[in-house]
Amino acid sequence: MPAYFDDDDLAHFGDLKQHAPELWTAFERYYAAAFEACLFSKRDKVLIGFAVAQVSQCPYCIDSYTQTALEQGLTMKHLAEALHAAASLRAGIALAHGLVAHNIDKKISM
Amino acid sequence: MTTILPASRFARRAGGAEGDLRAARPTTLQVNVGKRCNQACRHCHVDASPTRTEVMPDEVVEACLDVLARTPELDTLDITGGAPELHPRFREMVARGRALGRKVMVRHNLTVQFEPGLADLPGFFASHRVEVVCSLPHYTEEATDRQRGRGVFARSIEGLRALNAEGYGREGGLVLNLVANPVGAFLPPAQGDLERDTREWLRVHHGVVFDRLFTITNMPIARFALWLQRAGNYDAYMARLEAAFNPATLPGLMCRSLVSVGFDGRLYDCDFNQMLELGLEEGQPARIQDFDLGRLRGRRVRTGEHCFGCTAGAGSSCGGALA
Repeated sequence: MPAYFDDDDLAHFGDLKQHAPELWTAFERYYAAAFEACLFSKRDKVLIGFAVAQVSQCPYCIDSYTQTALEQGLTMKHLAEALHAAASLRAGIALAHGLVAHNIDKKISM
Repeated sequence: MTTILPASRFARRAGGAEGDLRAARPTTLQVNVGKRCNQACRHCHVDASPTRTEVMPDEVVEACLDVLARTPELDTLDITGGAPELHPRFREMVARGRALGRKVMVRHNLTVQFEPGLADLPGFFASHRVEVVCSLPHYTEEATDRQRGRGVFARSIEGLRALNAEGYGREGGLVLNLVANPVGAFLPPAQGDLERDTREWLRVHHGVVFDRLFTITNMPIARFALWLQRAGNYDAYMARLEAAFNPATLPGLMCRSLVSVGFDGRLYDCDFNQMLELGLEEGQPARIQDFDLGRLRGRRVRTGEHCFGCTAGAGSSCGGALA
């Protein structure tokens, strides 16, 4: 195996269906329905997908959602704003976990 | 002897096994008056630039206007280039087209207003009630400048303000439409969404108004094709276009309702075929001097793989999305 992540893999995502067809079909329906425009526009949902892809560090999703976002009329400037919003939340989450250390320290230290 | 060319992959997809994509009755004469332009945009399907020398000669200009005069079914004269305003007889063509009672559309790149002697173009357009179709790839400066050159966005905004000052885009009948195209190897967004975003951004940040925004897909020919190849994007882009083939776009394809005239008078199904030198099918009039509406109606359209650019997603034409 030359690499764990290969951009050609993206086109073969559906190959996974063969291992559990019914579950895969259920996932496809759920995924399509979740991204249908409703209270949020399609573009809003693509941005949510992009932010999740970034903080989940999934190269396939980052590739796919960057292209989809560009086709929604967004530019890298827009994506950079979304990226920083997501990244700052991740930073805040890391810091918030510091409260565990803070609380433990308060409890057991004199 | 008539040579029967094999149907392109596009034609088989669009027109069935026989590859029979047929034109309707032409209503628009689209005249490309030359390849000279004050800009050299990275996506340009004409390869237009300041160094190009192709200019429509007088006899072809006269032949175009003669065809317009004797063919009332052609209700629209669509003038393009290059930057058509750089043609020495551009204003005369506009005036004579209007005098014949035709709608005259000009594909206007906005920055040509800042070329010597052309600052009065907005006033000229207004006085002849020209429908102005302006290129603006994206409402952000960074994206537009990346495609069209540094400083183009700022000058385009100035150009739009000058048109607004003449009454364009203010719902008073002087039509100012924008054309946006992707800044890269991807499809355009939904036209209505981009129009809404562009309208809001230009109004709030630049005090500019316009009528409609048309999205156009970048055509994989000429300078854009070269960029696709150099950047290693050609195959993926072609696959993207083909995978997004949408049969609902077929009835509105511009090749079905216009005839395109090259600077040298040759006739084509569209401006893209013109750049590929893919003339009308054999047996059709080859030059504007031989224009014959009866023969052109129902002709078989010459197609190639580039045609997937007009049928991808919501479709693409000089008038924007099709489906």
